[in-house]
Amino acid sequence: MKTLRGLGLVQTILWAVALIVVIVLPFTSAPFRVEQYITWMTIAVAAAGLNLLTGYNGQISVGHGALYGTGAYTVAILVTDAEWPLLPTVIAAAIVCFVVGVIIGLPALRIKGLYLALVTLAVATLFPLVIEQFSDLTGGSGGLTLTSEQLYRGSIRDRRVKWESPIDGLASDQWKYFIFLAISIICFVVIANLVKSRVGRSLVAIRDNETAAEVSGINVSRTKILTFGVSAAIAGIGGAMFALNKGQVNPTSFTLTLSIYLLVAVVLGGASTVIGPAIGAVIYGVFIDVISPELPESLHSATPLILGTLLVAQMLMAPSGIVGGFHDLTARISRRKQGGGKQDKNEEVTVTTHEVVAETDLETDPGGFHP
Amino acid sequence: MNDFLEILVVGIGNGAIYAMLGLGLVVIYRSTGLLNFASGELAMFSTFIVWTFWNFGLPMWLAILGGMVGGFLIGVLVHKVAVSPLGDPHERPLAVVIVTIGLFLGLNGAAQLIWGTVDKRLDPWFGVSQITVGGVAIAWQKIGAVVVLFMMVLLLWALFKFTKVGLSMRAVASNSESSALCGVSVQNMLMLGWGMAAGIGTLAGVFSAPNLGLGTNLMQLTLVFGFAAIVLGGFDSILGAVVGGFVVGILSSVVPQYVSVFEKMPLAPAFILILAVLLFRPQGLFGSKEVARV
Amino acid sequence: MNMNWKGLAALGCALVLIGSACGRDDGDSSSDSDNGDSSSAEDAFINPSEDCDTYDGSAGVDGDTIKIGTIRPADGPYAIYDQVTSGLDAWVESTNANGGVTAGDGNTYQIELIKENDGYDPARTPELAKKLVEQEGVFAIVGVIGTENNKAIRDYLNDECVPNIALATGSPEWGRADEYPWYIAGLPSYATEASMWTDYLQETNPEAKIALLYQDDDFGEAYQTTLQKEIEGTDMEIVDEQSYNPLSGGSTEAATVSLSQSEADTFIVGLGGTPCPATLTFIPETWTPETFVSTTCSGNTALSLAGGKDLGILIAQAVYDPADPADADQPAVQDFLTNGAAAGLDEGQLAGGISSVGWGFGALFGAGLEESDTVDRAALMNTLFSLEDSSFGLVRDEMDITTDGGEDPWPLEGFRIVSRTADGWEEMSPFTNKNGESNEIAG
Repeated sequence: MKTLRGLGLVQTILWAVALIVVIVLPFTSAPFRVEQYITWMTIAVAAAGLNLLTGYNGQISVGHGALYGTGAYTVAILVTDAEWPLLPTVIAAAIVCFVVGVIIGLPALRIKGLYLALVTLAVATLFPLVIEQFSDLTGGSGGLTLTSEQLYRGSIRDRRVKWESPIDGLASDQWKYFIFLAISIICFVVIANLVKSRVGRSLVAIRDNETAAEVSGINVSRTKILTFGVSAAIAGIGGAMFALNKGQVNPTSFTLTLSIYLLVAVVLGGASTVIGPAIGAVIYGVFIDVISPELPESLHSATPLILGTLLVAQMLMAPSGIVGGFHDLTARISRRKQGGGKQDKNEEVTVTTHEVVAETDLETDPGGFHP
Repeated sequence: MNDFLEILVVGIGNGAIYAMLGLGLVVIYRSTGLLNFASGELAMFSTFIVWTFWNFGLPMWLAILGGMVGGFLIGVLVHKVAVSPLGDPHERPLAVVIVTIGLFLGLNGAAQLIWGTVDKRLDPWFGVSQITVGGVAIAWQKIGAVVVLFMMVLLLWALFKFTKVGLSMRAVASNSESSALCGVSVQNMLMLGWGMAAGIGTLAGVFSAPNLGLGTNLMQLTLVFGFAAIVLGGFDSILGAVVGGFVVGILSSVVPQYVSVFEKMPLAPAFILILAVLLFRPQGLFGSKEVARV
Repeated sequence: MNMNWKGLAALGCALVLIGSACGRDDGDSSSDSDNGDSSSAEDAFINPSEDCDTYDGSAGVDGDTIKIGTIRPADGPYAIYDQVTSGLDAWVESTNANGGVTAGDGNTYQIELIKENDGYDPARTPELAKKLVEQEGVFAIVGVIGTENNKAIRDYLNDECVPNIALATGSPEWGRADEYPWYIAGLPSYATEASMWTDYLQETNPEAKIALLYQDDDFGEAYQTTLQKEIEGTDMEIVDEQSYNPLSGGSTEAATVSLSQSEADTFIVGLGGTPCPATLTFIPETWTPETFVSTTCSGNTALSLAGGKDLGILIAQAVYDPADPADADQPAVQDFLTNGAAAGLDEGQLAGGISSVGWGFGALFGAGLEESDTVDRAALMNTLFSLEDSSFGLVRDEMDITTDGGEDPWPLEGFRIVSRTADGWEEMSPFTNKNGESNEIAG
């Protein structure tokens, strides 16, 4: 028991350090960096939504970029056309994306595994074209810019929205950062609670063995459709944050590449773990925004090559991702310290919440459905 | 009327390309049960190899042969290093998706690193001239594409039907354990499948490069059309890939011209096809029921 | 997950409060320094003391070095435009190798160029522009690629009073210098180019039946709108038009074939990138229209993709083509070929017609510095907005490079119509300057 408390303490300390870093960061970084951090948050939130569907529930989506885009366009259209105030549009985006998610979730009941990946890949590719097709609403390739009336060069003009900070000493980018940090934390807390609840356990049960789940009284169809809806809603919130942060939306921001990156964030951080997608998103962000620009000129186009190689290598060597790997490690330590004693509560939690991609699974049900 | 016929010809030309890409996908699916999201990039990469030989001065047919061999070797390598360690693709679909997407990114980046960012000119294999039949101009390149496609289908059919290698590949796909017991090297057959698929994909690249310009994004969207073709035809059917390819090619050329809501979305008819087929006839038009484990 | 949430939350809030009390601990960057000593600040186009909240006219000037920045796609499907930036880079290197730029203040400066990569995604451009301004502290931004990308940073750069010079786009948007005085285009307006086509048609084929294929964005739509406007009241007619979306994954083949059935005698190709030369290869032999293409694909790099089908096409030409033997003796071309090669441009880039454009962007910035009294951001913009028959880069000598603030913000407004021959271009109609007309043409 002592070691377990020790591990718990380690975890708490990690959390506290993370919190301090997250709060101090905007004060020590240039404003452009702060805006990049916000972008990482939007990816983290959307990836967490995707993780609910793909990690926990086993429905693979290569098309969540389209839902992220739907959220972003919902915000942009409401602000520019309907002149909504900024923050309420986030809720609207979540609702719209929930509905879209449920609609996509219906055919997904019959289309599974690799085939669902194929269909959602097509959705991701199609999304920018749909935006171009309905350019009256979406602004086509020129996109939409969130503007407000501002005084400039002696007259009132429509200019890009600014986030005026109500707190003295907090610059506008810092204010924006904390608002989005709060939204992100809310999303993650909701997901953490959802995953721990009965519903969360039924998601995993469906992923691992749909028939067994059905037998044990879970309404599989309803759960799967709702998961798609909730997952889409969270991805939509990510997209909504993107639109508000950037103050603009363009179809080129929502191509297949985005969907791929969301998936990368999930897998890199650790599928079926609550915090994994956030870690994956941050690592990806650091790679793209901080490391890649420092590479020598001739290596610029090597960025995708490095990323692709890492992805394949990770999948082969550490498929459970960073958080999954950490959990495996702590589980092993506590098991050894206990001298191979009984499973205890803490470890059980670890196993169910991250039941990862990994486990080249002799010990689990061989007929099961593993993502 | 001529208007429609001209566009129909465009659709048939594109359809032949989609069918070739689809054939590559079918060969992989048959031997490994895998949907390969990297097959478009594999085709792009080996088309660059073709260009390199051709630019070096080799005759086109020899350059294409060289590209196909190059593609074959890369396919074999990819299978050995990245795919075979994953095990049964339908047991771990997420791992398959991630690995093939990793290959997708990696091959794309590698191609840009090697061949740069400027689109290359690969001359049409069958030249730029056209013949006019009843007022409709048809490029020899299109006729060539259709002919090459049918020759490939014949070869594949003969391979699977009559040769020992083809029979072994089929055996491995339908039951790898018992074929292993019969002395068939399962890994070798799977590698062969990957290599063949990559070689066939090269031809799809060779025919689309003159239309789109040979750049690293040559196949990114074409791949979706290729997938639509095999969804329609059935994942494991060679005939299906061909029929599916032509249907998708024709629809995506003709529909945007006549239906204004699809004007800017040539991909949309293909997408609707994918969705409808997977929902209502998951084995496709020509696929066998048990293989399509939807 | 058995940690004390409340405790953590309290800690978090406390930290935010402390942080906001301390403010951002960046090194006090200078601000509010006196607003340029430009003597004629009163009647100049830009008066920083009125227009800027904080103004530091000599930011990015450190001793004898001036730091500038640019943003372009270096990877992904649009990485071809990196060739433009290679030209800009070569101009910088060659200028430095030859001693530097001698500015109006009599000093000679070396130029340092910082390049950022936005992958052509306008959502990424703003953070990179901010990085250039905040972290790198550049004096000016030069040659940013893409209409949407430049639009995305327009409010920011104008607020910060940072010059954005030689935008690598000809969108009519850049005519709004009264609203956005820190922006000056590096290409002619697409609208002016289109009006040259209709002028030529009016002379040679006043009853032209036009088939139009245009790119489905700001660039192609500028051609489309201008053509419609210019042929109004004439006997010319657009008999059929098709748009093409580069994201669609298809080629322009179906659209081209469909247009070929329209009985048009004139075909206008308002496309950029590879689809432009590819379209030429799709024209059926049964259709032989007079074909105009966008000047953005008039270089060797683009036209070599047309497989010989580019013979006889018409373009409106504003700059020397470094690959055209007829232009080979021009000093500007000689300078580019010699110094560009010394600065590392390869043969394909020298002859390609893309890098030479970026070279010109650098040259416009250099010309501005040379003609300004002081090295000052506002002074530089005021110089660029009051050019009188200036010259820079590979712009043709016949061009009257004259600007006048918001009245006439376009440096490049002249063209000649030329037809493609086996090794270069043949003049079909002499150079015409449309000085001061670009905004009106765009409507």
